[in-house]
Amino acid sequence: MARTYHGTNYTPPDHYAKVTGRARYAEDWRADGMLFAKCMLSPMPHCRVRGKIDATAALAMPGVHAILTQEDLPEHDPLDETCVTNEPLFEGQAILAVAADSEWIAADAIEKIKVDLEPLPFALDPLDSLRPGGPNARRDGNVIVRDTPSEPGKPPKNVVKEQKWTADAFAAAGGARLPDGEAHVEWAIGDVGKGFEEADFVIDRPLYHQSNTHHPLEPRSCMAYWQGGKLFLYPSTQSITITHAVTAASLGVQPQDYVLICEFCGGGFGSKIIGTVNMPIPALLAKKTGRPVMHRVSRYEENYMGRARTGFQAQAKMGFRKDGRLVALDLYLVQDNGPYSIQSDMNSAGAVASLSYQPVNMRFRAVSVLTNTPPRFAQRAPGGAQITAMLEPLLDAAAEKLGVDRLEMRRINAPDSSSKFDGNQGPLTSALVREAIDKTKTLVDWDNVKKLSRQKKGTKVTGVGVALSSYTAGALGFDGLMVLRPDGKLELHTGVGNLGTHSFSDTARTAAEVLDFPWEKVELIWGNTSKGLPWTSVQAGSMTTHSATRAIHAASMDLKKKLQEIAAKDLGGSPDAYEVSNERVHRKGAPGSGMTLAKAAERAIALGGKFDGHELPEDINPYTKGGAQVVVGKGAVGVAKDNYERAGSIYSFVVGFARVEIDTETGDVEIMDYAAVTDCGRVMNPRSLAAQLHGGAIQGFGMALGQKWIFDPQWGQSFTHRFYSARPPSILDVPSVLKADFVNVPDPHTPVGAKGIGEPPIGAGEAALVCAISDALGGHQFGRTPIMLDMILNALEGRPDYYQPFTTLT
Amino acid sequence: MELIQRTSNPWGQEVLVRISWDLFFIALAAGALFCIIHLVLRPRWLKREAAAAKAPAGFVSGSGAASGAGSERVVRHGLTARLFHGVMAIAMIVLLLTGFLPKVGIQFGQWLTLHWIFGVVLIASIVFHMIHATFFLRLRDILIGPRDVKEWFQEIRYMLGGSTPPAKPGKYPVDHKMYHAAVTVAGFAAMITGVLMMFRIDTPIFARNPYLYTDSTWGWIYVLHGVGGVLLVALTITHVYFAILPEKRWITRSMIKGWVTRGELVAHHDPARWDPGNADDRAAAAAKIARESA
Amino acid sequence: MSMIRDMMPGFELFQPATAQDAVALLERYGDDAWALAGGLDTFDWLKDRIKRPRAVVDLGAIESLRGVRAAAGGGLEIGAMTTLTEVSRDASVKESYALLAKAAGLVATPQIRNQGTIGGNVCQDTRCWYYRGGWPCYRAGGNICYADTPASMNREHCVFGASRCVAVNPSDTAGALVALDASMVVLGRGGEKVVKAEEFFIGPAVDITRMTVLRPGEMLTAIRLPAEWAGAHYYFEKARDRQSWDFALVSVAAAMKVEGGTVRDVRLVANSVAPYPMRLKAAEAQVRGKTVDERVAQSAGDIAVRGARPLHQNSFKVPLMRNLVRRAVREATATTTA
Repeated sequence: MARTYHGTNYTPPDHYAKVTGRARYAEDWRADGMLFAKCMLSPMPHCRVRGKIDATAALAMPGVHAILTQEDLPEHDPLDETCVTNEPLFEGQAILAVAADSEWIAADAIEKIKVDLEPLPFALDPLDSLRPGGPNARRDGNVIVRDTPSEPGKPPKNVVKEQKWTADAFAAAGGARLPDGEAHVEWAIGDVGKGFEEADFVIDRPLYHQSNTHHPLEPRSCMAYWQGGKLFLYPSTQSITITHAVTAASLGVQPQDYVLICEFCGGGFGSKIIGTVNMPIPALLAKKTGRPVMHRVSRYEENYMGRARTGFQAQAKMGFRKDGRLVALDLYLVQDNGPYSIQSDMNSAGAVASLSYQPVNMRFRAVSVLTNTPPRFAQRAPGGAQITAMLEPLLDAAAEKLGVDRLEMRRINAPDSSSKFDGNQGPLTSALVREAIDKTKTLVDWDNVKKLSRQKKGTKVTGVGVALSSYTAGALGFDGLMVLRPDGKLELHTGVGNLGTHSFSDTARTAAEVLDFPWEKVELIWGNTSKGLPWTSVQAGSMTTHSATRAIHAASMDLKKKLQEIAAKDLGGSPDAYEVSNERVHRKGAPGSGMTLAKAAERAIALGGKFDGHELPEDINPYTKGGAQVVVGKGAVGVAKDNYERAGSIYSFVVGFARVEIDTETGDVEIMDYAAVTDCGRVMNPRSLAAQLHGGAIQGFGMALGQKWIFDPQWGQSFTHRFYSARPPSILDVPSVLKADFVNVPDPHTPVGAKGIGEPPIGAGEAALVCAISDALGGHQFGRTPIMLDMILNALEGRPDYYQPFTTLT
Repeated sequence: MELIQRTSNPWGQEVLVRISWDLFFIALAAGALFCIIHLVLRPRWLKREAAAAKAPAGFVSGSGAASGAGSERVVRHGLTARLFHGVMAIAMIVLLLTGFLPKVGIQFGQWLTLHWIFGVVLIASIVFHMIHATFFLRLRDILIGPRDVKEWFQEIRYMLGGSTPPAKPGKYPVDHKMYHAAVTVAGFAAMITGVLMMFRIDTPIFARNPYLYTDSTWGWIYVLHGVGGVLLVALTITHVYFAILPEKRWITRSMIKGWVTRGELVAHHDPARWDPGNADDRAAAAAKIARESA
Repeated sequence: MSMIRDMMPGFELFQPATAQDAVALLERYGDDAWALAGGLDTFDWLKDRIKRPRAVVDLGAIESLRGVRAAAGGGLEIGAMTTLTEVSRDASVKESYALLAKAAGLVATPQIRNQGTIGGNVCQDTRCWYYRGGWPCYRAGGNICYADTPASMNREHCVFGASRCVAVNPSDTAGALVALDASMVVLGRGGEKVVKAEEFFIGPAVDITRMTVLRPGEMLTAIRLPAEWAGAHYYFEKARDRQSWDFALVSVAAAMKVEGGTVRDVRLVANSVAPYPMRLKAAEAQVRGKTVDERVAQSAGDIAVRGARPLHQNSFKVPLMRNLVRRAVREATATTTA
């Protein structure tokens, strides 16, 4: 390939719109006659509407057009969260929505609506709910389990059940460790009991990881209108095609009668993977009123309508051999699931623990408990970040006890490309963790910097910490779609959502590489389902870079093959005799021969059939077939499904390093230095990759250090619903220079060699910081996050804390 | 005007907060109005009483009606009773001032501490009074019986111009008994709720626990406390008013110095119903004096 | 607590050009009026529909309320509507009252300091989240403190000066002003009155619904810094959870006059530990007239926290305050004037 695009910095095609403010995010849209919707939010953590909602006075107000209540919604599973509900399961859940000429009127109208709410029992703390007589978050139970159906072939179903652990189990645990109650998920590798027998050092700790709101910068506003029986929806969503396909039902339409437009998304961190729960509000109100409706979501509302990471109350027992090798890991997680669908953070946590530390023997148990707190959903490395931040400090404790260098400790237990992991002991595609550790060692000058550990200067004491974070990094089997037009431009249709990571355009550059085509002449079509988009993975779970490069590679190869065939048809010889480069399809070794691609595109139209998209491959997704209709007859069409083989799960790895200074008189932590080194296969876009490594780390710093969920236990209401009270870190909380390096070795199981990178940076940042704080405090470990100033000061002063190991409400 | 302040609890349910402070001004006004009306009608009643006093000697029955014996001092309130009354009165005044002054704009940071401390003093004095009155005084002197009710109607009829003067009372005339009953009710309302309200503030007595009761129960507790408080404002005003009236000065003196003259006794009381000169009463009084001087 | 939030209800907006007009408006509307300075306290309340004034009096157009000028009897006068950025960067403030410049420069974020005013910063309401969440607590006219129950979330609340309400004064500049013995110029119905900063802030024991002596119909127009404390030795520190955009967990402000190594006079103030900036007189007495050494600093810190009554989550404020007072005593003597 003459042209190399991957691995170089460039200006993505959305850049100018973003910096000039021309980019339109969900709430920037306007339409003639547009109404505004506002929601009435539940003040109670669990209640139900008694009797009828009386909106007479509100609807009589001038400028008020319609009200949306649960009765107006299309049919849905009673287990599902809906955009408005008669039985709110958390404080801040929408009960109803009103459409009016302005938000001002809508808000006044909501105050005039009479709703009689009956308070119901509520649960905020999972362990508390598992106690005999403890409160249940839902009327039908307190835990959610994935039931394997008795009939084969049927998909597993989520079921709510009531589960209480015995009083004896609680009494035996005594509050200092997790009770040994019944689990819903359980698997083992080897024999964990035997593993502990072999161990020279065993560490057994109660651990707690809090839940965290996603808090993307752009709240989930959404505008909708109906035209000619079609719904036009302008949401804020991470993914495009899957959002489009999956959410149609909740909007009461068929995908073909529904256009979704989202060219810019101000971040989601997992909270907007397949659209947002409030999307039906403007859609259904627009249908009711016959006018466009905008539902702007404020920061306060985002805290509730948004999503949150699950929290864990856990017990971790780790057995190490003298040389530092982890021979046994016994892990029990109680997952704070929120009130709705079951979250797989716990499963991912088990997988990540078994991958990152390669325990010779392992037992994993978990139970997912419902609580009346904002709904959970995948958040950047769901499960992975939590377990990394929980277990990495224990590795440090073992390293200290056994006299092993901490970076060496990670290397000793690290996976490599031949490693197996998870309950089923599946293979990996590649894992260059040791290479990443080596690069970290050089980047941070480990041998010298570790000497600063626990050094005091005045009232400041230094701590250094390292952490290894891993997470899944790619899906497969999706489609690519592009058309080479007679004007010589390559129109690339991508289903990748533009959620701010550049993956939507990074992956498109694969086509320019495969076709040796100038990137400047690639026109990228994205973010609008009416423009013809191929079936694409979700923009989540670090799947995009891997899955979209594969699919676009496949479609590019398809186009290349067609161009070669066209050349062969017109100029004779076999297609194999031709190659594509420099905007020509020409005989191999004769760049000036053959024809221009513009000409080839014309020829494709003339040839029709598969060449211009009139005939489409059988194996592509029906969704792509629909999308491809837009490009039919427009030029030479490249369209294909990613059928590339891949043997093994694909994971990316990040090694994080943090150096902190703690003020021993105030407990204040200052982050002095942070570095991240990754193995994520071939580097696509170095600048963007560094931004992922550092942005993720900063988010992790927040989880480690200051971002906290705070609820009043008596009333079940939260206080951390604004940025200043939720305290995510700002750019002023981190060093001005953050370091990064990349292993940059292509993954051999994918044509472009790229693995995703969105997820693992957060766990690396969080865990490295937790480890550095612990180091500065002479190895004192809190066993919980976030580590706030009061905890550090109390530790320094030798004063007792007010919380117990599993206290969730702090 | 609203009588009770209401609000929404964190769940949006309506709850009571306390009485409206307007009720304080209403109580002040009611107390003042009572005094004014009494002042207006007073000359008329005084005239009638004076006329009654000039009635034939036979009207003043019982022993020792002679003028010589009239200046003899008879114990009406023992020292213990007077000390109790003094302590209770000081506590009540401090409680009313600390309770209401900040609400009319006279703010001082010590009001709450003074308020609860004097609340404790008041409660202690009342508990003492109850024991003392039950075991060392004649409880029936203060209790309202059917005869009291009858006499009260009689008195009202007389005050409104009826010709039959009311029968003379025992130790306490019926209006005093009724005042006592009203103070008891208002006082207990304020005291019982006041004790509970101490769970909402920091005192060395109880561990603070604002969630001891549901918020609607708390609302009622605050309302009752306020109702008791404003009733006591009105009752205190009228009490002080009567205490400073010249024709009632002998009673006031008896509450300060303890004694009345035999003449005052026979003029205002029915010795058949209460006679500190009688053997029973005298013995009790003597015993008390002995105790007090010991 | 939510039913509908984040949408301001209607009100009448006044934008008077003079302080007298502003006071006349505030007086006319009494309890229904709201004085608007930088808006950083105000808009939370209004957007959440918790405080619902009928009239908002925007002080932004009153020129006389802006700027730093020399005061008549020496010292400086700072208009209440001077932004925190201006205060923190003003040459004369930095030269003579670096304590205030430092405190103003540590408020929130650069953007908030550009918008927020010194007057607004000292008059701001408490940040107790129960109260600001619209819970009907004592401060909101109710009959309960939700923050002081056996299970409340009160890590940020007070360790001194509680009276039913346990909220703290959140202002960074308030402590500095008390340490500088500043005077607050209050304009009201009866004309202008001048109140010492120390008396300007009141606790819930006096009035549970207000943070300052300002009554409806009154407004703060200026702050006067006395010449007496110009160029003294200063120390200010703010301990917080996040290094930007966070309120203090504890802040200390110290002003000292040192002659020949001996502390001739000193004012020590801690804030965010009580419902008002708290003068630490006992600690001052410990330092006054002494040559500061580690022993004096230690004992000043110990004395400062005597009588602290922590709530169940905030006992850490005691050592934090103690350490900050020690440090203030230690460092203030070490700093050079100006």
